[in-house]
Amino acid sequence: MRASVAARPLVGGPGLGRASLVIGAGIILVVVAALTAIAVGSTEVGLGDAIGILAQRLGIPVTESWAPTAPTILFEVRLPRVLAGIVVGAGLGAAGVVFQALLRNPMADPYVIGAAAGASLGAVLAITAPIILPVLAVGAGTAWLGIGLVQVAAFVGGLGAVAIVLAVARQGGRSSMVTLLLTGYAVSSLLAAGTALLLVNSGRAMSAVVGWLLGSLGGAGYPELAIAAPLVIGGSALLLVQWRTLNLLLLGDEAAAGLGVDLVPARRGLVLLATIVTSAAVALAGTIGFVGLVVPHLVRLVLGPDHRLLLPASCLGGAALLVTADLVARVAGGVPVGVVTALIGAPFFLWLLHRAATASTAP
Amino acid sequence: MASSRFRFLVPLILALATACQPSASASPSPSTASSVAPSASAAAEVSYPQTLTDDAGRQVEIPAEPERIVSLAPSNTEIVCALDACDRLVGVTDFDDYPAEVADVAHVVIGAVVDVELVVEADPDLIIAAGNELTPTAVIDQLAELDYPVLVLYPESLEAVLDNVELVGTAINATDAATAVTGDMTQRIAAVREAVAGEPAPRTFYEVGLFEGAIYTAGEDSFLAGMIDTAGGEPITGDPLTTSIALEDLVAADPELILLGDAAYDPSITPESVAVRPGWEGMTAVTTGNVLVMAEDPVITRPGPRIVDGLEAMAAAIHPDAFD
Repeated sequence: MRASVAARPLVGGPGLGRASLVIGAGIILVVVAALTAIAVGSTEVGLGDAIGILAQRLGIPVTESWAPTAPTILFEVRLPRVLAGIVVGAGLGAAGVVFQALLRNPMADPYVIGAAAGASLGAVLAITAPIILPVLAVGAGTAWLGIGLVQVAAFVGGLGAVAIVLAVARQGGRSSMVTLLLTGYAVSSLLAAGTALLLVNSGRAMSAVVGWLLGSLGGAGYPELAIAAPLVIGGSALLLVQWRTLNLLLLGDEAAAGLGVDLVPARRGLVLLATIVTSAAVALAGTIGFVGLVVPHLVRLVLGPDHRLLLPASCLGGAALLVTADLVARVAGGVPVGVVTALIGAPFFLWLLHRAATASTAP
Repeated sequence: MASSRFRFLVPLILALATACQPSASASPSPSTASSVAPSASAAAEVSYPQTLTDDAGRQVEIPAEPERIVSLAPSNTEIVCALDACDRLVGVTDFDDYPAEVADVAHVVIGAVVDVELVVEADPDLIIAAGNELTPTAVIDQLAELDYPVLVLYPESLEAVLDNVELVGTAINATDAATAVTGDMTQRIAAVREAVAGEPAPRTFYEVGLFEGAIYTAGEDSFLAGMIDTAGGEPITGDPLTTSIALEDLVAADPELILLGDAAYDPSITPESVAVRPGWEGMTAVTTGNVLVMAEDPVITRPGPRIVDGLEAMAAAIHPDAFD
């Protein structure tokens, strides 16, 4: 199948110069956002200190003008957060593009076919199980949950939920994308009900549960990043390779069939990859909303629908947005980052709707 | 998208979290602070490095006598200050209001959120956190990974507060002061027990708060329920996890005494306003006029050395003739 698609360059075309320009600009945007986020925080440690400390670590003699706590603040507190913002933002941006193309639905986001609901249930189950069933809290170590179990449960929950959605949607033969979407909604609702039930019975862990559901980059350390980052970045790269298939999806099944291409196996692979990326991102940072929905739309408005550009640009855009949103969240004094992305995302989405409505009523 | 479905729950959760956390529910965490050096040999020298077991069951190594202490809960701050170590505090929370000396200490918990960056800047050699997710487990893990000694305190009973005082005393090499504080507390608790011994125990309902039709009180087997019991009342308790009680269960339990803890913060909650609540008018406490404002709620729900003030206030409310 890939050969037949690859034989035809679907859009893309000659604009290689424009592509490198856009990607270059995106990388600069992410770097600027990351440097700003490293330089700004609740303490006075700034970019100058960061450069000095880095130079010193590289063996360059520098006069130490910073507080002894500055290296810890920069490299152990701020940097993992910024890196997590890049990884999660990029993953949600990429997955959002793919789900919008797969489902040919502008409302689609990485969470739409169950990954977030499943990951939430998994994580909340891992947080609350020892409280609801004290039998499970064997010894002191498990009563105070290691972060690892919650993240593994979230990742497995995300994959599991999407597997259920795919299996149910396929009952009765080939599933249409509408069936997939509706099944995703129904299964998500069911899982969300389970999560809500656990939530109201979570007692002392309630604030931990709420914090997880709202999403935060604060809990991510280097060990967690070392697992999630390869999944998200590798998955996004594999998605990017399939830009032609993604472009073909926009034409619709009939048109694709007319071109002699069977999209069913390709689609399955894309769903799997996008789900792995989404689940890894959610496991790292909880369910952060709007990035995966809004960033692809924003990039599409500027660059058009060609996935060769849309996908990498959405990765970079998602990374820049989330790093910036987390900076705002930190500076604002512990506002959940999901709240900031929603504050930025919701008005934008309304504007988008308004714009679409105006365009459709125009003569 | 899926996450947006939870968002409406957030205000409820935040209210619930505050309502249920100070009064601990039956928790699987290990028996509290049995690790403290026996108080009989309180004068024993503390030597560093030392390893203590905290209320989360964690082994905490303290390399040297702490001189820069960060407290992540008002109750912990009060314990440190009661041990004459207020001047060693380099970080406290936005909610710290006692004793007055802490007003000048930098805040590292902003709102209810621990700002890890500010904690690092305070450069502590001991961090005293709160259990029961008051300090989120994720934050405790993060601080521990940064190699700070993090002592988690989570007393589940009055006696466990005494253990906490001694644990902190051992940690910061203030065992003599700790012995003095716990001696005084032990004496006052014994006085309360003695005064209410043999008195009939009225069915007592402690109102922690009302929210969206739900009534929050002392959870079954909670710290607060234990306080009521010690003060000579028979606690009417709510669900051990949510600490809420259904109105019909409260009506069936028929409290003889209602203590309004929430009235300490909300002047619109009064014995008069309780009397006109639908369903409450027939309760014995309401018909006999035994509905009282507990202005001491802040010390009743803060497990520090002043918890004894709270206990005495509660005993005076439950047994005004026997204890005053």
